[in-house]
Formats: sequence, structure tokens, C-alpha cells
Amino acid sequence: MLLTLFLLAAVYLLFLAFLVYSGAPQMFMVLFIGAFMGLQYYYSDRLVLWTMHAKIVTEQEAPDLHQTITRLCAIADLPMPRVAVVNTSIPNAFATGRGPKNAVVAVTTGLMDRLNQGELEAVLAHELSHVKNRDMAILTIASFISTLAFYIVRYSFYFGGMGGMGGRRKESGGIIAIWIVSLLVWIISFLLIRALSRYREFAADKGSAVITGQPSNLASALTKISGIMPRIPKDDLREVEGMNAFFIIPAVSGSFMNLLSTHPSTEKRIAALEKIQRELEL
Amino acid sequence: MGFKSMFDSLLGRSKLPESNTDRLFSISTAVVTMEVNLNLQPSGQAGICFKSMSISQYENTRKEIEDLLSYSTKETGTKYHIEKDKYNFLWVMLDDKDFEDLVTNIHMISQTLIEQGFSEQILCAVYRFESKGPVYWIYSFKQGNYYPFVPLKKQERDNSMELRLKSLIEGELPIEKNVEKWYPLWGMPF
Repeated sequence: MLLTLFLLAAVYLLFLAFLVYSGAPQMFMVLFIGAFMGLQYYYSDRLVLWTMHAKIVTEQEAPDLHQTITRLCAIADLPMPRVAVVNTSIPNAFATGRGPKNAVVAVTTGLMDRLNQGELEAVLAHELSHVKNRDMAILTIASFISTLAFYIVRYSFYFGGMGGMGGRRKESGGIIAIWIVSLLVWIISFLLIRALSRYREFAADKGSAVITGQPSNLASALTKISGIMPRIPKDDLREVEGMNAFFIIPAVSGSFMNLLSTHPSTEKRIAALEKIQRELEL
Repeated sequence: MGFKSMFDSLLGRSKLPESNTDRLFSISTAVVTMEVNLNLQPSGQAGICFKSMSISQYENTRKEIEDLLSYSTKETGTKYHIEKDKYNFLWVMLDDKDFEDLVTNIHMISQTLIEQGFSEQILCAVYRFESKGPVYWIYSFKQGNYYPFVPLKKQERDNSMELRLKSLIEGELPIEKNVEKWYPLWGMPF
């Protein structure tokens, strides 16, 4: 994980240095995307709840869910997050919000129907570990450079042309160089972010194991959820696909390369949990 | 947020706080003030709540706790039993008219759990008092402080009474300053 973070930071700095060196024709794009992602991050809780059709539930409306989360928070020493429920049969859970004090933990009704108390607790502890590890902030910051590079790849000729209208003629060679570097940065940072996301999943699984003291509960929850995923109709899945990085199990599974995946494979996660179980008991 | 915890969360390995039993005993002196000034009568019941563990660990720990309790309660006459609540948490429940004995036994059980390696999994210790209704003083092992919990009905709690109790006993009992950490505890077995 340290290496991934280091490489990502290196790509970050090199790319920004390159943009400055090349005369910074994209500077307003940097600021624009920065501001946009800043807003997105700041309002992440509301945005995600809205796109996921998640409804905040009070302690009276969902007493058992609240109490389960309360006890996990007491053990993990976290402030109580807001609790939300999504009314769908897809079993899933996610956490969002810019920090522990603004966090929201959401579960779907499908998840609550299918899991027993111990498994539900393990999934909630996984989400609370994301909150404790500040994964929303870390992945947002990490994604900034990749998003920026992506927009430069898509629009640099257009914006390059605009820059030319200011009187000073831009050499098209400069724009092509920026385009190529941005494309490389986009590909590299995309892979690094996916790797980072997978590391954070392992870390949250480990966090869940430590909080609950029973890694096997999360393992059995993962088996149950992942076994059910392929039967879900495609239309529903397309809607939720953008949220994948924050889900406990990605909604769209398939045979596409592990390298591109936001989550490690369920088999790998279960193997890691079994290892923790052995460490705890033997 | 300190630099170290920032670094830990960056690497995704934030740790859980360990249990702190330092101020657990402070309730045994505060109980006099509670009876006289706050009109709270100890009900003679207390419990310690911890996360359930895997079967093999549970069997060992239960045996350890029961061995110790059967020895210590011979002198104090404390009644005890172990039960699981609907959230899968385990409770060692104690019954004794002598408040001091309750505190001593709670402390002993918490020490045993810590020695067995469950320091991170102890949720709290709870002492029940009677006023108009039940009033609970909860010791959080994570914070090493007490806080009041006055349940009404259906997941509602009497916050004004809790704040009043806090202000009246603050001088004698270490109360958790951050009310965000006054976690409610529903479904208690007493």
C-alpha cells in the first residue's frame, strides 16, 4: 500500500510539474476540476444518498440496525454516523461522507434480509472501517489527478485551440505532447487507484475482523452476497455501477481483468480473512 | 487528530483503543452522593458487556471467568450468570446488595478479559440504579469514563435528566465530556 501511495504521489507531482513546465495552458482546467471534485467531496454524503435512493432512518424507525452500529462505534471509538436504508433486493452496503463526523452508513433491505446478526455486524464493521480509515477522502484525492488527465485527453485540442485565440499561436506539437503525457498519466494513475482501492478493501476487511473479533462472520457474509450477485437484472446494475468503489461487493462482477477491479476477488478476501482467523485462534 | 493516527488511517491500519480500567473504581465513592443528593438507589445489579467471540475462545474465557467468580463470590455472596443478548453480545450479570462487591467483581472480570486478549472487545460495564425509572451508569472502557443512560420507552432517552445527573456528580465521578460518546445501550438484560 505504501508503494502504491508513493507511486501515485510521484505521478501526481510529475504531472503537475509537467503542466506548469509546458506553460500551463490547462491551469484553469486544473482549478475547475479541483473545485468540482472539492464540491463533490464536500457534498458526497448528500450526493450519494440521493443517487442511491437511500433514506436516512431514525433510531425509532430501525432500532436494531441503530443499536448494532452504536455498539460497533463504541468498540471502534467512532462517533455515531447517520444510518440509511436503500429499498432494494440487491444485498449491499456502503459508507460515505467526508469524515467520521459526517459519515453515513447505508445498507440495503436485501442485505438485512439475507444476513444473520453476526454477518450483518461484520459488514457494518467493514463499512465503519472505511470511515475510520478515511477512504472517501483518500480515494477522492487520489482520483483527482486521474480525472484531470482524463479531461485533458478528451478536451485538450479544443482548449488548446481556445488558447490560440488569445493572439499567441500555440504550436500543435506542444498540445500533442501534453495529450500523450496526459494519456500516460491517466492510464498509470487509473491502475494505481484501482490497486489502492483493492488495498483499502483488504484493510477494511481486516478492520472488520478486529472490531468483531470474528473474521469468519465477514467471510460467510461475503460468500452469501457474492453468490447472489449474478442473478440481479442488468438494468438495476447499470444504475449502481458508478458507486462500485464504495460498495462492499462490486455490483458488476465478471471475468474482466482483476487489475481493473476496484475490489479484490471474493476468494482472495476470504483467504485473507481465514488467515486472520487462524492468527486469532491458534 | 494527531500525526500518528493520520498516518495510520492513510495506511488503512487504524487501531482500536485498548481498555482502560483506571477510573472504574471511582463509582464506589460516588455512590454515596448518588443516594443522598441525587436520590438514586443502587438496584444491586451490574453487568459487564463484551463482544461475543468464536466458540473455542468463548469456552476458555467462560471457564476462566467462572472459576474466578466461583472463588471470589464465596466470600462476597454475589450471584452471577452469563447470558447473550439479541445483538450477540455477552453479559456477565452480577447481583449483590453490597455495591462495593459489585465494583470489585466487575473489575476482576474486566482484568480477566484483558489478560485473555479481549481488551479491544469489551464494550462497557453497567450499574443499575432506581429513580422514577431505571437509571444506568455506564463505564466505557474505551474512554475510561462514566456516562449516564436514562431510557424512557421505545429508543427514547431522558437527555435532560442525564445532563442534570452529569452536572450534579461531575465533581466525584469522571464523566465523559464528549456527549457524542454517550452511546445508548438498548436491549440490556436488566
